[in-house]
Amino acid sequence: MSAAAAPVRPRRNRFLAGARLLLGSPPALFAALVLVGVVLVALFDDQVAPSGANDVDVQQRLQPPGAGHWFGTDDLGRDVLSRVVLGAKVSLQVGVVAVGFSLVCGVLVGLFAGFYGRWLDTALMRLMDVLFAFPAMLLAIAVIAILGPGTTNAMIAIGITYTPVFARVTRAAVLGVRESVFVRASRSVGASDPRLLFRHVLPNALPPIIVQTSVSLAFAVLAEAALSFVGLGTQPPAPSWGRMLAEGRGYVDLAWWIAVFPGLAIVVLVLAFNLLGDGLRDVLDPQQRSALEAARARSGRRRRRTPGRTS
Amino acid sequence: MRRRTVLTSLAASSIAVAGCSTGEGVDTGGAGETGGGGGGDAAAFVAAISAQPDQLDPHKTTAYASFQVLENVYDTLVVPSADDLSMQPSLATGWTTSDDQLTWTFTLREGVVFHDGSPFTAEDVVFSYRRIIDQQLANSARFASVADVVAQDPTRVVLTLSAPTPNLLSNIGGFKGMAILPRSVDEASLTTKAVGTGPFRLESSGAGEIALTRFEDHWGQAPSIDGVTFQFITEPAAALTALTGDQVQWTDNVPAQQVASLAGDDAVELGQVASVDYWYLAMNCAKAPFDSRDVRRAVAFALDREAITEAARFDTARVNQTAIPEGSEWHHDYAPFTTDVDQAKSLLAGAGVGGPLTMGLMVTSEYPETVTAAQVIASQLEPLGITVDIQTEDFATWLDRQGRGDFDAFMLGWLGNIDPADFYNEQHRTDGPNNYQKYSNPVTDDLLDRAGVEGDRATRKSLYDQAAQQIVDDVSYLYLYNPDAIQAWKPGITGYETRADKAVDFETVTLPS
Repeated sequence: MSAAAAPVRPRRNRFLAGARLLLGSPPALFAALVLVGVVLVALFDDQVAPSGANDVDVQQRLQPPGAGHWFGTDDLGRDVLSRVVLGAKVSLQVGVVAVGFSLVCGVLVGLFAGFYGRWLDTALMRLMDVLFAFPAMLLAIAVIAILGPGTTNAMIAIGITYTPVFARVTRAAVLGVRESVFVRASRSVGASDPRLLFRHVLPNALPPIIVQTSVSLAFAVLAEAALSFVGLGTQPPAPSWGRMLAEGRGYVDLAWWIAVFPGLAIVVLVLAFNLLGDGLRDVLDPQQRSALEAARARSGRRRRRTPGRTS
Repeated sequence: MRRRTVLTSLAASSIAVAGCSTGEGVDTGGAGETGGGGGGDAAAFVAAISAQPDQLDPHKTTAYASFQVLENVYDTLVVPSADDLSMQPSLATGWTTSDDQLTWTFTLREGVVFHDGSPFTAEDVVFSYRRIIDQQLANSARFASVADVVAQDPTRVVLTLSAPTPNLLSNIGGFKGMAILPRSVDEASLTTKAVGTGPFRLESSGAGEIALTRFEDHWGQAPSIDGVTFQFITEPAAALTALTGDQVQWTDNVPAQQVASLAGDDAVELGQVASVDYWYLAMNCAKAPFDSRDVRRAVAFALDREAITEAARFDTARVNQTAIPEGSEWHHDYAPFTTDVDQAKSLLAGAGVGGPLTMGLMVTSEYPETVTAAQVIASQLEPLGITVDIQTEDFATWLDRQGRGDFDAFMLGWLGNIDPADFYNEQHRTDGPNNYQKYSNPVTDDLLDRAGVEGDRATRKSLYDQAAQQIVDDVSYLYLYNPDAIQAWKPGITGYETRADKAVDFETVTLPS
């Protein structure tokens, strides 16, 4: 068939090579393992958590970490470990949905603005500038003030807050790709705008967007924690790391474990997203990538020369 | 009646500013404490309160934070005693009542001057009371039975009543919301300025702190301390750190969980007294299914008040199924509800509520104990098939929703009540101004009306007891507990007393020499 005769795009191989390159870096590998772990915990939270996250037992309050409760109990006698585990689900949910929201909105805006330019570019990007003008948390709090507190509204608020970031990143990438030879060639043979946009321009503008996604996930998790900390995000009794921090704050000198474990969980998840973002940037940036590949190749050659390996 | 109201945005903005000005407090406070550097007697007394007053007009504000300040600036005709909250002379030295109980004549103290130097006369009392009545200000309901206020001569004021009002004294003296202002006062300036007859005059009021200075011409003894600076520290842990760090000398922002450990701490003096406050859960009697008495009773039977109280207040509150605390002479020992889930279930079934039920429970982060208690309540109602949807609102929204009746249930407290009328009238009379839960029972109304005009104390108590019983049985309010008033100050400070009505009076305070 003619398709087989068409120039082959070594997509699969590139992806695999990229993944191998990414996981070859220890920080990224660590990040990936952590994220897989957190996702598994979030998926199987009911099996992982030793008890219900909202099992109140005032008699058992403020128990230190020990055999019965690995992470201790909080001021209402709830198992902190179970709440941290269930909090992972909330954090990931909010992160993924909020970033998904800003990804879709932001990329569409950036794509149209960058591709069509002129007044559409001006209109869309000035609108984004307006959103950008507000500090991120302030904007999220303002949105929640309008919508009312709650997990869903926190997702929307965070989503809106990070939309302009994606719009800018996408637009910049699109501007670079728009005038490429292959785009012009495709246009010259009569390709429709949607085909140009989604078949040619977007795929080639993806790398910075992917990196931005990973970094934004870290921000989104932090933002959810911050909003819940001030009582605007996840509502009690649902466990959220930010809420748990806020609740544990008054008990720091009596029962450090209430605040420390959810705090650690936030640190680990945010760190993982950031490290993964760093790794992705190295792999997806052509210049960084060739440098990385060259370095790997050198170390690979050295390894091959070591005795025992050659046999 | 005081409900603590605080504008959340104000409180939030005060955190940052208070943070800046604490530094100044350290310097002056430190110098005074250590007595070094020739500080002499210029010792500062800094009090940390948890919120910033919304305004300083005593007739308009309902915020507890405002009254903490105003208590020291203004006077009332009579004042509750520290021991048993019975009404004692203050600006009035005595009073007589006509035989029909409808005419009260107050004799005023002579030689009293306001902070601006003008003399205090009967005309000022008439002006102040007329201001509250005619402008229908926050406490005008306390004058509901007052038909006329007349200055008979410069030292005598006559109140004419439309019906006997045995609690008139606590109505006009229960707190500084009934303060006496000079008739020459610029009313518009009262939001930020104050002209009273109290032991301290208002020096300055700002976003960061409020400063009072000693009023030398006070009719009583002038205070021994030069002044009081009120700082606003929202976070209890921060307030406590400021106290142990010598940045403040007094605070009422003490976390309940710390009380046990503070009691044995030599660095802090702890004042703990059973207060007249009460905290309760109210269900919307105008909204199905909570309009059903049986559904409300089912909830009352399902709750374990001990656990709720322990969770919300550690050991600093006592469970009570009525409003008036045990120490009061108006207390009525009545506790019909025991935790009985089976009984609750059969009541629900009897009310025809078969399926699962959702109850939106409105709480506010302004009072974190409501959020804590709500989570315990949620877990206790779960076996009953009631899903509690906890709605944490900022206080302004909370009050707005309460006012509109837009709730299934809410939890909050009332504070500073003295007379049984304060505890029950406005909250449970049909269409009472604070009857947000829309409770209505002619039997209760009749009992409250009769008790309101009953002159004989024993009969009056018995009527209020019956009313309380009816209110508890109907679950107009689901009473939970009476908390302690908890305050802490530096050791060596004398002349201060923690009061059951949580009035904060620094008049007789002396600092360690």
